[in-house]
Amino acid sequence: MPALAAAVDWTAPTSASAADAGRARLELRGLRKTLGDTAAVNGIDLRIASGESVVLLGPSGCGKTTTLRMVAGFIQPDGGEIHLDGVLASNASFALPPEKRRLGMVFQTYAVWPHKTVTDNVAYGLEVAGRSRAEIKAETGAVLDLVQLGGLANRFPAELSGGQQQRVALARALATKPSLLLLDEPLSNLDATLREEMRFELRGLQKNLGITTLYVTHDQDEALVLADRIVVMNKGRIEQIGTPEEVYHRPASRFVGGFIGIANMLEGEVAAVDRVGGRVLVALDAGDRLWSRAPERWLADATPGSRATVLLRPQDIKLERPEQPDQEAGTEATFVSETFLGNHYELKLQAGGTLLRVQSRVRGTFEDGRTRLWARAGSAWVVA
Amino acid sequence: MSEISLTSRAVGDRPSVSLLRRLSALQPVRFLVIGLSLAILFALIAYPLILLTGYSLVDAQGHLTFETFEKAFARRGMWQATVNSAWLVALVTIGACALGIPLAWIVARTDAPGKALVTLAAGVSFVIPTFISVISWIFLAAPNSGYLNKLAIDYLGFETAPFNIMSFGGLVFIEIVGVYPLVFFAVNAALNNVDASHEQAARILGSNRLRTTLTITLPLVRPAILSAVILVMLDALSSFGAPSAIGTMANFSVITTKIYDLLKFPPQFNYAAAVAMPIMVFTAISLLIQKYAIRAENFRTLTGKATPEQILTLGRWRWVAGGFCLIVALVTAILPVGALLLLSVLSSFGADIRLDNLVGKHYALIFDENFAARASILHSLLLALATATVCATLGLVLGWVVERFRFFGRELIGFLVMIAYGFPSIAYAVGILMGYVELFYGTLTLILIAYAGKLLPIAFVLVRNGIQQLSTDLEEAARISGAGWLRSIKDVTFPLVRGAVGIAWVLVFSLSLRELSMSAILAQSDTQVMPTVVLQFIEDGAVELAAALAVVIVVVSLSMLGLIRLFTAKKTTAVA
Repeated sequence: MPALAAAVDWTAPTSASAADAGRARLELRGLRKTLGDTAAVNGIDLRIASGESVVLLGPSGCGKTTTLRMVAGFIQPDGGEIHLDGVLASNASFALPPEKRRLGMVFQTYAVWPHKTVTDNVAYGLEVAGRSRAEIKAETGAVLDLVQLGGLANRFPAELSGGQQQRVALARALATKPSLLLLDEPLSNLDATLREEMRFELRGLQKNLGITTLYVTHDQDEALVLADRIVVMNKGRIEQIGTPEEVYHRPASRFVGGFIGIANMLEGEVAAVDRVGGRVLVALDAGDRLWSRAPERWLADATPGSRATVLLRPQDIKLERPEQPDQEAGTEATFVSETFLGNHYELKLQAGGTLLRVQSRVRGTFEDGRTRLWARAGSAWVVA
Repeated sequence: MSEISLTSRAVGDRPSVSLLRRLSALQPVRFLVIGLSLAILFALIAYPLILLTGYSLVDAQGHLTFETFEKAFARRGMWQATVNSAWLVALVTIGACALGIPLAWIVARTDAPGKALVTLAAGVSFVIPTFISVISWIFLAAPNSGYLNKLAIDYLGFETAPFNIMSFGGLVFIEIVGVYPLVFFAVNAALNNVDASHEQAARILGSNRLRTTLTITLPLVRPAILSAVILVMLDALSSFGAPSAIGTMANFSVITTKIYDLLKFPPQFNYAAAVAMPIMVFTAISLLIQKYAIRAENFRTLTGKATPEQILTLGRWRWVAGGFCLIVALVTAILPVGALLLLSVLSSFGADIRLDNLVGKHYALIFDENFAARASILHSLLLALATATVCATLGLVLGWVVERFRFFGRELIGFLVMIAYGFPSIAYAVGILMGYVELFYGTLTLILIAYAGKLLPIAFVLVRNGIQQLSTDLEEAARISGAGWLRSIKDVTFPLVRGAVGIAWVLVFSLSLRELSMSAILAQSDTQVMPTVVLQFIEDGAVELAAALAVVIVVVSLSMLGLIRLFTAKKTTAVA
């Protein structure tokens, strides 16, 4: 994106005093919501600091959209509290109407009003706020330039492509300089190429403007690109909160490990515990013994003889013995299939009862369809 | 899915929430709107129906009894009227299907010539109410003086008049012509929506064209046929105009005309209510069947698009089918409309059709200041304006409340409105009469209440569908932008459903103009409307005047319907 937003004055209206520094822009405390007879959101605690980009990530039905809509004020929680800039916005008996929350929101369907031009769509929030005509004109123009729609200002939405409508929705959400920007799977209706492009563009915009963002998606790649912190949700609860690196490399649970990236899960039994080094030696059911790092909490309870599941990413499984292996003799595996994908080979191998997916730059050497697998040093991680 | 619950739960107050902030979240206007619309709905629909049921079940002393039914049906001719009604319903339903289904198939799936003509004819005969087509058919097929009969005797060598419209058979014929468009349009639309791939999949698997039609196409359009059949049955059962006009002359009765007779001076409310009960029960059962039996089949939502590949080339049969189309168009539209126009300018019924016999005196008389017809035109226009405005407004508010609010009783609104829809006009009018006669006796307001209640469902369904198609996101986007809910309606919802509201307004206006069954019961000498005057003219034998006034009704309705184009041709209304 060229010359991004440099010219736009982006001081969110409430970020003034230094006393606010420690106050979260958004805080959720024990948030709960039952829809029908399922607990859609079942006790969520989250703080989002000013300028931060947080992504709610999870499969459909995990409660991420419900959470977002509670923040927006379209759904009232059954329990818990929502605070915006330190002020109560929702609890079970009170709900500030959406229009009084000073938020911006980009909808999955874009929700661009078909009867208004691009300009009128973007200007709406400023009009409602009672700004002067000159101000509205100037700010609308600036925001449209920001999303590169300056040339289409007088078109109707029906005359725009999906991607352009998406930009209108974004411009409309940004125009009022909201204290918090909500995005509900905004890219899911775009085609694959455009989606990938928009990810990076959105992230650039968010960083340059320094706008606080809560983003909902089920797409892990989107989450990795867009997030300062990812909140992985499942069945109405938070499984893990962490930076993209943390949730990818050190998932807190089997679910997180399986949901983000491709995961090979190897079952085994703890043979030795090294609490100082933060790792355990796991005797894999598939054969061989492997030193694996582990979460502290799990490590505290781990004793030799207890069961463990080791997570290995496809690119962390090697077909050649590394210099300083975490293993003794390598795990024996049999060849199942091989696919050439340009920059690597995608191999399927059978180790014990488990089917493993391996991404390798080399084809590896097999004897009678057999080979030995090695974990890249320091990459093994216990998920449970 | 704006779902801030209306009943704020009695959880212990948090001191952190100030009273002011709390009040700002309450939105009292919302309560007011919901409360008011529910109240109006109860007054318009629930109250008259409860009264009607009540009256049929209590005697003069106020005791619960079934005696009213016994006495009502023991009256002379009542049983015969019930039998007549049953025959009418059965014959009309069979006839409408026999005519409508093959026509729909020919139009949707063959290359027969004259398909456009059939669609047009069905539209015309749908727009013209039976109490008007009766006039045409009296002109064409009255036993002695009907012009078709004269033609047959003078030129075709018939000994006696071959047609007699003033008979039970004539009534059945007129009713069939009036309702077959329901079947035709429903089945035609369904056939057009059967995606070619469904049928092609069967053909690929070795099924021939006939077998494919019977095992794939027909089951797919069955729900449409069943829905249409139910509508036709209800229509035939509650029809009043043609049975009244023909029944008076041919001396027979059906249930609806019996109800009308019971309300003549001195009115016998209890008996009228009791006689209306079978119609109500039949209606309720039909609607239940509709809801459960047909909806259950609606997994087969037809969303495809017919393609040229589905069109059957008829070959030699093409001209047979074309001839059928032509005859249908001639008999159901061209002849009646032509007859009506001709009669309205003919010096007198029975006169030879010659240029010097064509006069404008009937129209002059209708617009004459000193003649009752002129007042009825004004009344009708006034009522149509008021009814259309009331219904469009109520439809908008109710449709929006039902689609956008979640509260206890939300389903009740839709339910009440649909009851009014299925409810036979004549029975509903009896209910309105009982409920409001003391307040509004002899005023146009009384008629307005009846029109509004009966036609509200049409406005409601149209506007509700319009709102349903609007993604709630559009309104929520306005809320997030800082607009309150009232403003979000003004800026987003209303501009986007304006088209649907406009169409509803025009439709209700047109339907009000031609409403007869309720008007006949509710209108007094000072509050006559066009349809009641037309009926009076027919019964008095002044068919030329009836024709002239009927032409006025048809012309005004048709030109109003033309306005619909105004509301549909807008590029911005295309909402995904």
